[in-house]
Amino acid sequence: MSHTDDGEPLLAVDNLRTVFHSEREEIRAVDGVSFDIERGETLGIVGESGSGKSVTARSIMGLVDSPGEIREESSIRLDGRELTTLSEKQYRSVRGGDIAMVFQDPLSSLNPVYTVGNQIIEALELHRGMEGTEAKSEAIELLRAVGIPDAARRVDEFPHEFSGGMRQRAVIAMALACDPDLLICDEPTTALDVTIQAQILDLLQEIQTERDIGIMFITHDMGVIAEVADRVAVMYAGEVVEKAPVEELFANPHHPYTQGLLQSIPGRNPSTDRLPTIEGDVPTPHESASYCRFVSRCPKGFDECERVHPAHVEVGESADHTAACLLYPEDMPTDDTVTHHEENADQTGAEASEALSADDWPAERRKAGEDTGPTGSEDSDARADGGHSHSAGDTGGQLEGGDTDE
Amino acid sequence: MSRFTYLFKRVALSIPVIIFGTTVTFAIIRLGPLSPAAAILGPQGDARAIRQIEKRLGLNDPLWEQYFDFMSNLFLFDLGQSWVINSGTPAIDLIISYAPRTIWLGFWAVLIALGIGIPLGFYAGLNPNTFSDYFASFGGIVWRAMPNFWLAVILVTVLSQSEQLFGFSWTSFIVETNVVTSPNLAVLKNPTRLLTDPGQAWTNLAKATKQILPPALVLGSASMGTEMRIGRTAVLETINSKYVETAKAKGVSPRVLVWKHIFRNALIPLVPVITAEAFILIGGSVLVETVFSINGIGLLFFRAAEQGDLPLVGTLMYLFILLIVGLNIVQDFAYTIIDPRVGYDG
Ligand code: SF4
Repeated sequence: MSHTDDGEPLLAVDNLRTVFHSEREEIRAVDGVSFDIERGETLGIVGESGSGKSVTARSIMGLVDSPGEIREESSIRLDGRELTTLSEKQYRSVRGGDIAMVFQDPLSSLNPVYTVGNQIIEALELHRGMEGTEAKSEAIELLRAVGIPDAARRVDEFPHEFSGGMRQRAVIAMALACDPDLLICDEPTTALDVTIQAQILDLLQEIQTERDIGIMFITHDMGVIAEVADRVAVMYAGEVVEKAPVEELFANPHHPYTQGLLQSIPGRNPSTDRLPTIEGDVPTPHESASYCRFVSRCPKGFDECERVHPAHVEVGESADHTAACLLYPEDMPTDDTVTHHEENADQTGAEASEALSADDWPAERRKAGEDTGPTGSEDSDARADGGHSHSAGDTGGQLEGGDTDE
Repeated sequence: MSRFTYLFKRVALSIPVIIFGTTVTFAIIRLGPLSPAAAILGPQGDARAIRQIEKRLGLNDPLWEQYFDFMSNLFLFDLGQSWVINSGTPAIDLIISYAPRTIWLGFWAVLIALGIGIPLGFYAGLNPNTFSDYFASFGGIVWRAMPNFWLAVILVTVLSQSEQLFGFSWTSFIVETNVVTSPNLAVLKNPTRLLTDPGQAWTNLAKATKQILPPALVLGSASMGTEMRIGRTAVLETINSKYVETAKAKGVSPRVLVWKHIFRNALIPLVPVITAEAFILIGGSVLVETVFSINGIGLLFFRAAEQGDLPLVGTLMYLFILLIVGLNIVQDFAYTIIDPRVGYDG
């Protein structure tokens, strides 16, 4: 992880809000998301479909079209340069030039009527001013670099003549054509079988070390995350609910949602014969958060979760491990944690997590917290007969307008 | 499979189609209630004269023999002479003298349909759910819904009375023409006159074009509506496809996105619509030529069929069938050019 000269991370997303306007209401697909990506680092973004991860990617690419809109308070900075205020024309040179994207489905992300070479050359012409034979030999070079055998011949073939894995390699070659600083991969291996998937993941890692690029890797597959990510952001209903370095997250998950996700990985729970799943769907938020979005599905939820929106607090060992849940900070009694979160309700993401570290709290209150003991279990009963919050209970599931997960 | 063997296979496979089509034509004419002999003589012909003519035309020979003669002559392109319409003239000569006006009509009908239908459909698809989209889509449906014959009659009526109706005279617009008449195509047979005698020749060309536009509009109307609708859907589908998003993510400008990535893909579903248009033209020309009194193939075919002029009808049907079969082959080749996924193996 190396900082750029001015100390700015490669990509800094701050309080990103992307909403979609439908006739009746607005859908908050991404609601106050903040994270950073450094050069040479892979940030895994994990969540179910409808959690807003794909919309986050499209927001960074500047590909949110009407009726979608990135709210003004959002900030996306690449190498210190604010992207949200760029004109469409300026954004086009960023797109594909500084940030490249690899989409989920290699079968359909290449235009069927043009040769693979043609589509790589198009990117070279656009961003590196290459033409003719120079562009063509560079295209062949790129195909070779992503491990396509006989590249000189295959450059003139059409996408349908490539196998699925080869196609995804070609898409990656196309993404690399313009020497991006940041590569966004939106479920790039989901449509591929396991061996090919492993090869593509290796390839991405190789490319990253070679070119020192930052990668944002979106997936719903915890297994893939474990393999590729350095740090992980877990998304739920448009918010990041937990952020941590990858080993820390797997060893010590704090947010009930993350815990649920990890439990549902086959093989992690040998004692149970049935795989635990998280009941219900991701809600579709319409109004600003005044409660925990996860409350309708949370096994540990309690009354307060319905009226207080949790802010990020530091949890666990590592300094950059934060979670947005009213149960934390751990060493505080529940009543106090709730007040903390309430006071910080207007803050989200990074600032909130800084503001809400357990160390800031007066020692005597922390002590009082120890007396009450750990929170959680006894409160979950109270939650069981509490009514569902009006909107979180409405399990709208997938986002209609914007999210293209699966 | 190479391009050549593919072509050969397609031609071989179309032979049964041609045989079937011509057989049906023969059956309808010969087994139907039509009597060519009566048609030749008119109402005053007596029974003896009719029998004489039937004998001369070989209509009393065994039917299978007549059928065999008919078929073998067609396949050897010995197309015979007209019996009724223009007795004694070789059928092919008649067709050649009638054809140019129909080709001229068809040319403009296709041009109007392609030139208005597809651009309008693409435009609507690129701007979905806007006022202009609704306008174009609704217009397309209405246009599509108007039957040929009705539109033809209305157009003739309106254009011939445009002076009284709108105070604008179609007949004297630019060049003096009649609404209902055959266009004079002499100038097209001798295009060098456009240079040697520009004044007269260009006026004639303008007249021929102006006269053909209303019937061509009628003839092209159905296809125009269909092309618009399919063009709109095709563009909408293409816009939402992943590869267009990938191209956007590459930083491709909107202009290149539309012209390179969207249009070519959107053309694929239009190929069969465009070739189907040719079939509609063949059928539609009969009607439109009748209403607009254009001495073309359609009118010729209608009269020949009505009067049991077997050699003429047979020849025309044979040529129509060849044309349709040929167009189908051309269509498949057009696919292989536009869409590289289509191979020669199918
Ligand atoms: S805030 Fe409450 S409902 Fe939300 S995750 Fe924590 S315990 Fe569960």
